[in-house]
Amino acid sequence: MLAGYIEGLSMVFQFGTLLAIAGGTLLGIIMGVLPGLTSAMAIALLLPVTFGMPPVMGIGMLLGALCGAGVSGSIPAILLNIPGTPSSVATTFDGYPMAQKGEAGRALGLAIVASFVGGVASMIILSLLAPPIAEFALRFGAAEYFSLSIFGLVIIASVAGKSLLKGLIAGLIGFFASTIGTDPIVGVDRFTFGQLSLLTGINILPALIGLFAISQILKNAFEYDPAEKITAGRHKIDLARPRFVETFRNWRALLAGIGSGSVVGPVPGAGGSIASLVAYDQARRFSKHPEKFGTGHSAGIVSVESANNALLGGALIPTLALGIPGEAATAVLLGGLMIQGITPGPMLFADQSGTIYGIFLAYLVANFAMLLIMCLGIKVFVKVLMVPRKQLLAAIVVFCFIGVYAVDGDVFNIYLMLAFGVLGYFLNRYGFGTAPVILGLILGPIAESNLRRGLQTFQGDWTPFFTRPLSVIFLGVALLLLVATLWQNYRTSKKEKERKMIHDENGMERHTS
Amino acid sequence: MDRDTGKPLFDIFLLVASGIGFYYATTLPSITSAGGITPAFFPKLLSGLIFVCAVPCFIRDSLEWLSQQRERDYKDEGVRGDGPKSAVAQWFFIMVLIIGYALIFERLGYLVSTTLFCFLAVLGMVVLSGEFSNMSSVEKLKSGLSYLVFSIILSSSIFFIFTALFNIPLPN
Repeated sequence: MLAGYIEGLSMVFQFGTLLAIAGGTLLGIIMGVLPGLTSAMAIALLLPVTFGMPPVMGIGMLLGALCGAGVSGSIPAILLNIPGTPSSVATTFDGYPMAQKGEAGRALGLAIVASFVGGVASMIILSLLAPPIAEFALRFGAAEYFSLSIFGLVIIASVAGKSLLKGLIAGLIGFFASTIGTDPIVGVDRFTFGQLSLLTGINILPALIGLFAISQILKNAFEYDPAEKITAGRHKIDLARPRFVETFRNWRALLAGIGSGSVVGPVPGAGGSIASLVAYDQARRFSKHPEKFGTGHSAGIVSVESANNALLGGALIPTLALGIPGEAATAVLLGGLMIQGITPGPMLFADQSGTIYGIFLAYLVANFAMLLIMCLGIKVFVKVLMVPRKQLLAAIVVFCFIGVYAVDGDVFNIYLMLAFGVLGYFLNRYGFGTAPVILGLILGPIAESNLRRGLQTFQGDWTPFFTRPLSVIFLGVALLLLVATLWQNYRTSKKEKERKMIHDENGMERHTS
Repeated sequence: MDRDTGKPLFDIFLLVASGIGFYYATTLPSITSAGGITPAFFPKLLSGLIFVCAVPCFIRDSLEWLSQQRERDYKDEGVRGDGPKSAVAQWFFIMVLIIGYALIFERLGYLVSTTLFCFLAVLGMVVLSGEFSNMSSVEKLKSGLSYLVFSIILSSSIFFIFTALFNIPLPN
């Protein structure tokens, strides 16, 4: 492990790598400030820039973007009561009231330090937990990998869509798309329709940019309102300096945030909004002054912001150790790793320990970069809120086009991106979600090749897939989750029907009287 | 298009697409490897599963749509649930413009196609959202010129960054 860290150190502490991490963090901050632009979109747009970079530099840049977007979502949340990212929803509870008291600078200072501490703590947890998990996963054979892929797909499908069926459909669409191209075992072309660009299968980058950036552009075009005036850029930020002492004085809230983020992070599909709400609730429960929460209390901001950044470290555990991403942004990051020629999973820890520990250290550096850039540029980032949306929309489309074209100079990738963009727009609009599609695209080939390889090894016998202990555990948990989600969906729809009936009856009474 | 009408329509699209996927999967050569699984196994299984999952979605969304229609008839509301016309127009405009941009990207080259796209995208959004109608003739001219300058600066600066700094060739 020590040798890995030393090798990783030499990869991270190079001028180019540090510059890339700082650049990624800066872009992430800018994207996070703008409501409607997500961290997944930020790293999807950055992916093409990382092509020619060494793995640690490229992934460091993407991690910087994730770190930056994680904290800057708090700027519009505190100043405008509009969360920049879904995970900043709970920041509005105490951040906005504090800003209304004329203490916006204090709220931002607390958010920055809490995010930084949460990020550093989660990096420590990541570096402690990921290697033993990866070592354990070395025992996995074809049956276990097949079951694990199915488990990952089911778990994200059950939480990403508005209903289990819709989430599953989205996952299956991704899985189906992954079968396009030359068959991995017997070499037959599947659904290529004579298109040479499809022989190697669906390129992950056009799919990622389409699903996470183009679909968002189409959504923003639909929701564009010229009457919407952003005034936060004119806010006067007083003393926006880091509040280390005040953050550590709220140590209970800090621990609640780090704990919630680290626990919720590895759960696939759970996401930042859940982690921050859990952290807020826990901090209020353990506080000596729970009545102060919601009135501009510093502990509220500390708990939520530390959870937001601690979540990333937690989500990286299954992403790096098992190749199963924790949520949409880490799914895109997983795609980034694959583009870099890195296959996440236990073998990565065994074969390329320098790279993996370099990634851990890059994540640590990204947190320091975030702290520095946010402290120095907070007043400038507030002005980003004033960037006109229509110009931004056009610029993002151009970046998407260049990014996809840069893969191999093939315009077919642009058409592919547009197809995934339109599909992603409708999948989001009608409650299917796009994260399961990417998971299907990534996990599909793992599931298919391992099932077929396993069947070859077991001479056509399916029983080892259902009798090997770890395989049974993964499939059993996936099945249990399916049943539990179905039961929960049934109960929710029943309650909704009852509520609607009561509402209709009241309406009828009013109508007749 | 109304959001609730779109739901069952999208379900129909999924049903048809999965049906087509299943049909094409049956046409794949049935070469079996040692395990006995053909290349068509997964495509058939997946398209079949999508179809099976989409059926209850279609039924549920259709019933929801029907009950909403009945509710509207009962309340005798004259206004249908269509989204704001400008929003739909903006969506279609951007969609068509992006497709057009994809088609001319290589043919006209990066600089011309990108400048054209940026200018039309910004101008189109301003016109369709009604911002333009509130301006005087002089303001319209000034805005138009500023959008053109923005488009030229944006496309040129991106061209420089990617070709000179990142060594990524763009179509000329």
